Amino acid sequence: MTLLLENISLTIGDVLLIKSFTITIEAGEIVTLMGPSGSGKSSLLAYIAGDLTHPMYGNGHVMLDGVDLIYVPAERRQVGRLFQDDLLFPHLTVGENLLFGVGRGSLKKRQYLVTEALASAQLDGLEDRMPDTLSNGQKSRVALFRALMAKPQAMLLDEPFSKLDAELRHTIRNYVFAHLRERNIPTLLVTHDREDAPAGGRIFRINSKGELLLA
Amino acid sequence: MKKFLNSFAGFLPLGVLWLSPLLAGLLAVLYGALDGEAWLTLFEHPQLWPALFLSIGTGTLSLVISALLAFWIVAGLYGGRLWADCSSLVGGFLSLPHLAFAIGLGFMITPSGFVARVIGSLAGWAVPPQWVTTQDPYGLSLVSVLVLKEVPFLIWLISALLARPDISQTLKGHFRVSQSLGHGGASTWLRVFIPQILPRLKWPLLIVWFYGASVVDVALAIGPTQPPPLSIIIWSDLNNADPAFNARGTAGALFLTAALVALALAWIALKKIFLPSIWKFFTSGPSRRRTPTMTSGLLLLFFCAVYAMVFVILCVMSIGTLWPYPNLFPTEVRWTAWQQFAMSPAPLVNSLSLALASTLAALGLAVFWLETVPEKLDAALLVFAIMAIALPSLLIADGQYLAFLRFGLNGTWPGVFLAHLTQVFAYVFIVLKGPYRAFDPRYRAVSLGLNADNYRFLWVVKLAMLKPALAAAAAVGVGVSIAQYVPTQLIASGRLTTLPIEAVTLASGGSRPLMAVFALLLAVVPALAFLAAARFGRKSL
Repeated sequence: MTLLLENISLTIGDVLLIKSFTITIEAGEIVTLMGPSGSGKSSLLAYIAGDLTHPMYGNGHVMLDGVDLIYVPAERRQVGRLFQDDLLFPHLTVGENLLFGVGRGSLKKRQYLVTEALASAQLDGLEDRMPDTLSNGQKSRVALFRALMAKPQAMLLDEPFSKLDAELRHTIRNYVFAHLRERNIPTLLVTHDREDAPAGGRIFRINSKGELLLA
Repeated sequence: MKKFLNSFAGFLPLGVLWLSPLLAGLLAVLYGALDGEAWLTLFEHPQLWPALFLSIGTGTLSLVISALLAFWIVAGLYGGRLWADCSSLVGGFLSLPHLAFAIGLGFMITPSGFVARVIGSLAGWAVPPQWVTTQDPYGLSLVSVLVLKEVPFLIWLISALLARPDISQTLKGHFRVSQSLGHGGASTWLRVFIPQILPRLKWPLLIVWFYGASVVDVALAIGPTQPPPLSIIIWSDLNNADPAFNARGTAGALFLTAALVALALAWIALKKIFLPSIWKFFTSGPSRRRTPTMTSGLLLLFFCAVYAMVFVILCVMSIGTLWPYPNLFPTEVRWTAWQQFAMSPAPLVNSLSLALASTLAALGLAVFWLETVPEKLDAALLVFAIMAIALPSLLIADGQYLAFLRFGLNGTWPGVFLAHLTQVFAYVFIVLKGPYRAFDPRYRAVSLGLNADNYRFLWVVKLAMLKPALAAAAAVGVGVSIAQYVPTQLIASGRLTTLPIEAVTLASGGSRPLMAVFALLLAVVPALAFLAAARFGRKSL
């Protein structure tokens, strides 16, 4: 799986926010995108995911394994996302949250998938718990596995570690990166904090002119 | 100690003017229902059970259809170009009282009504068709009126919820996550949004359900007659000159309320059992179905068309003194009905005086409470406010009638005022509480720092800043008071006539133009109040 962002640019109204750029993210690679507030980082992720809304406009091609996603509706793109907040659905149990993006199948198979995911996340036995009874770290892991269980072809991380305390942040960060690499998922991470970027990974910055430069 | 005295002072006027009449009414109805003979005659009534099933059936059906349509429209339009129009349109629809709407709609759908005339003129019908439209035995016309009125109310409530920054922010995030997990818009609404919105609407839904199952004025205008809904049997007993019938009416009001409460409790129990399985079904895998934008837009258009037609028909009806079938327009147009009304404007004067007095009193009581009583006691007051709104008006009004007998308040303006205040304060408090309590307390510190005393701060800063909320609460108060039929009729005991009383009387066989005049006035007064509130509220910002 390769994610190619080709000649992508972003405008707000008539103002050019991000100038045209091209990046290829290889399978299992985690590319970091940094930039000041309002530079269009999150909007860029929304464009890639297919839910960019007025007054923002995007141009260019989002190619996933050679397939252009631009005319594919957001729900068919198979692009997973993690946000600052865990955004677990509060009316569903942990197990139901995990199964939300999983296709139809036998009850036994679905049950097995949940048990397996919870074991990987070291959250055994929590499937019937409601999200508001979990700790922040547990919520982050459930949110990650919910996204992974939907079998995404690419992942977009929108500052998912920024609300975690320092110790937990380090653990969860390594945990998320390890699982994404293990599954060979090309990933674009948006962050304010350079420490969040994976060691040795490529880091791009958006400068004041809206240019994307390799840091 | 000072804090306690302040709280007590805040409670005192409310206790005297609002809580005492409400509780006295409830106690009186319970005491009145101790009459065993009344219960025996109630259970011997041959139409009791069919009428009860009809009441519950029409109430439940209208609630289910209203909720489905409201969510359908919101799901299709939320976030789109039509959403802002939809939110402001339903606000306008709300100002039209149920009774005025029922009268206008009645003329549209009767066999000799406007719809039949339009079809007849195309099909060449010489006589009206043999349709059973209004007062049909299954109560479908009653359900139609309730649905057409409740859908805008529910949309308004949902849009108010969705406009809250905390909720809209969360739902926006959930929408993105749901999409990234492969769910289309329709699936996200069904599986993520509605399960989170519904619990927040539990009280309004209960109020809509109880209202639909116990409504009197609309049922008298358009509801079935053989059997009628239970509320109409109770109503006719309460208005009977024989005290034995009155006692049976009291027992009936309590019986209907108990049946509704029992069903609500049964639903809560069943919900607990079935809901987990329903959610399991909802989480059984992604569906990419998108939101029904087109049908939602068409539904909104349909609602606009019906409301516009009802209003236009009422206007034409009020001046059409001769309008034979199958003519689409009256053959004779005169202002006779308006002149007739102008010669005896007492119903309008009484309605206006009651609405203004009860609204001002409710605003005063609410502000006094919110200024002097700690926020933690709001929840207790809210329980009584919801009780005043949710319990059938038949029950509360009958109880108040029995209680007011002891104080000689029946048949007097103050008695009717207290009965109106029971409903008006409940709505005003609910509308005002949120914005008032959310007022940033730091403004007080800033004002005091600028040498303004507490009174100056209250008048010049706080109330001035809260003008939009106060104006909205006042408009709701006027709308609620103007529409009061049951309490006015019972407590006024024929000595005070108001707009809904005249409209209902005329609906059962009076002059059609005059009926339209009263229905129009019923619609126009609250609409003017809402317009004034919008203007007054905006001016202050």
